[in-house]
Amino acid sequence: MPMVSRWMYISLVILYSFLLGPFIIIFMASFGANATMAFPPQGFTLDWFANVFETSQFIDSFWISLHLALLSTIVSLVMGMPVAYALTRFQFAASGLVETIFSAPILVPGLVIGFAMLNFFVLLGDMRVMTGLFIGHTAILFPYSVRVISASLRNLDPYVEDAAVSLGANRLRGFLLVVLPNMQAGIAAAFVLGFITSFNNVPVSLFLSGPGVTTLPVSMLSYLEYYFDPTIAALSTLLVIFTVVLVQTAERVLGLSQFV
Amino acid sequence: MPYLEIHDLTVSYEKNQPTLERFSLNVEQGELLSLLGPSGCGKTTTLRSVAGFIQPDAGRIVINGRDYTHLPPNQRDIGLVFQSYALFPHLTVFNNVAFGLRMRRIPKKEIYSRVANALKMVGLEAFADRRPAQLSGGQQQRVALARATVIEPQVLLLDEPLSNLDAGLRVTMRQEIRRLQQQLGITTLYVTHDQVEAMTISDRVVVMNQGEIEQMGTPENIFSAPETVFVADFMGFDNHFNTEVVSVGDSKLTATWGGAPIQLRWHSKFGSPRPGARAEIFFRADNASLVAGTEATGLAGQVILHTFHGNELQYLVDTEVGEFSIMQDSDSERFEAGAAVTVQPHTQKWIAIIEETAARRQRKE
Repeated sequence: MPMVSRWMYISLVILYSFLLGPFIIIFMASFGANATMAFPPQGFTLDWFANVFETSQFIDSFWISLHLALLSTIVSLVMGMPVAYALTRFQFAASGLVETIFSAPILVPGLVIGFAMLNFFVLLGDMRVMTGLFIGHTAILFPYSVRVISASLRNLDPYVEDAAVSLGANRLRGFLLVVLPNMQAGIAAAFVLGFITSFNNVPVSLFLSGPGVTTLPVSMLSYLEYYFDPTIAALSTLLVIFTVVLVQTAERVLGLSQFV
Repeated sequence: MPYLEIHDLTVSYEKNQPTLERFSLNVEQGELLSLLGPSGCGKTTTLRSVAGFIQPDAGRIVINGRDYTHLPPNQRDIGLVFQSYALFPHLTVFNNVAFGLRMRRIPKKEIYSRVANALKMVGLEAFADRRPAQLSGGQQQRVALARATVIEPQVLLLDEPLSNLDAGLRVTMRQEIRRLQQQLGITTLYVTHDQVEAMTISDRVVVMNQGEIEQMGTPENIFSAPETVFVADFMGFDNHFNTEVVSVGDSKLTATWGGAPIQLRWHSKFGSPRPGARAEIFFRADNASLVAGTEATGLAGQVILHTFHGNELQYLVDTEVGEFSIMQDSDSERFEAGAAVTVQPHTQKWIAIIEETAARRQRKE
C-alpha cells in the first residue's frame, strides 16, 4: 500500500525535523561568524568555541555541575540500593505507600521542588550553597535510582539467595556473590540516568544556586539574559556531544534501554 | 535408626494459628520420602524448616544424630532444589555447580573433577560453559540437581521440582531424579502436590492436610488402602457414597449394594464400628462393571452420559445411591444414554472408611 507508506514517510520527516531541526540550527550557528545568532550562518569560525573555554563563568560552573552530578548520583545510588532491595524482596504493610512517596519527586514539578527546598533550607538557617544543591539533586535522583535498580532486581529469582545460602554462603556472601552481580547493569544504568538528570537539571538548581556557585545550565541561562552571541550555541553543541557519547557508551556496554 | 528426624515441630506465621503443630516425621537413611498434599497443607513449611530458612517455635530437627534445630541454614549441609530452579544467572553451568564446593574451600583440582562428574551424571558435560538462560527448563533443573548433590549433602530436599516443566518432560525428569537419588543413596525429602509424581518416585509417601499427617505408607498402600476420606479423595477415588454398616468382622465389614450384602475392607481411626454406624464407601471408576438390564445382582441404574477415552469408555450412571463414574474397556458391551444397566462391584478393590464425624454421629444417636 504505497499511500500508507508515503504518509508514514512524510510524517516521519516532519517528526524528525521538529526533533532534530533545532539542534541542527544550533550546531550550524555555533560555527557562524555573525556577532549575534543567525541562521543561515555567514562565514566560518571556531571563535565561539574558544570563547566558551575563555569564559570563566562556564568553566567554573561546568566543574560544579560535574562534581554535583557525580556526588549526588553516587549518594542516591548508595541510598537507593537498600530501598530497591527491600521493596522487591519483602512485602510489608506500607510498601505501597513507601513506593508512592519515593516516586513523588518524579511526579511533582521541578520548579515546585526547587521553590519548596529553597524555603526549607532558608528555614534551616545558614547552609552552604553547594550543600543545598547536593541535597536537592540527591533528592530528585533518588526515585530514579530506586526504580531502575528495582527493575533489575525484579528480573532476578528471589530464591537464588536461598540457593546460595543452602550451598554454604552466609547471607552477606550470598548477597555479594549472587545478588550484587545481577544488579550491576541496573546500578550502571541508574548511574548514567542519574548523572544526566542532575547535569541537565535547571528548575531545582535555579532556586538553590547562590552567589559564585552556579551549575552550568543555570549559568547558560543567565549568560543568555545579557548576550545573544553564538557562544551559547557552541556550548550547547559541546553538551549535546557529551551527552550523546555518554549514553551511547552506556547503551553499548550495558544495554541501558532495557531498564528505562 | 532414622536418618532425618523431625520432632514435635511447631511453626506459626501468625500468632495462635500454627501452620504446623507438634509435627513429627522420620526419614530412613537412603530413603526418598514424599510430602504430598494440597497447597497450604504445611509441606513446604516442613521442608523450609529442615533447610533452616524457617526457625520453628518449638520442636527439634535431628540429622544423623546431630541436633540441627538452631544451626544456621548455610552450615546445615543440605542440598536444596527449587521449583524455579534458582540458578545463578550470571554464572556458567560449571560455576553454578562449583558454587557450593567453593564455599567449602575445596581445592581447585578436586572441584574440577567433582563438578565434571556431577555434570556427567545429569548428562550435561557438554554444557559446562553455557549460561542458564541458554538452557531449556529440563536442562536447568538438571543443573539445579547437580548443584545440590555435588556437595554430597546429608539430606536432599526437593520443593516441587517438576512443576514448571511440561507433562512429557516431567515423566523423564521424575525417572532421572529417582535414578540419581538411588545411585547416590541420598536421604531425600520430596515435596509435591501431584499424586502421580509422589506414587512413582517415592519409597514412602506422607499425605498431609492442614499441618497434619493424614496417612503414611508405601505408594501402593496409599493408593489402594486410603485410611481417611481426605486421602481417598486426594488419591483419585472417583466414586463414594454413604451407607449403613450391617455387621463388622476383623478385616471386612458388611454393607449392602442393590439389596445384596457386600464384604469390604474397612478402616477406622476410632476402633471397630458398631452395626448401624455410617461408613463412606470409595471406589475407582475402573473397579465396577456394567451389565445390561436390571435382572443381574448388583445395583440398578441408568446411563446418563458416555464419553470415549481411547482404550476405555467412561459412563456416568445414575442410581438410587447416587451418580457414579464407571470406566469400561472399549471392546466390552456398549451402552447408549438412557440404557438400563446393573452396576456390579469389584469389592476387593473397594474400601469403607469410618470417619470421626461418622463415629460421633453414631455415639450421639
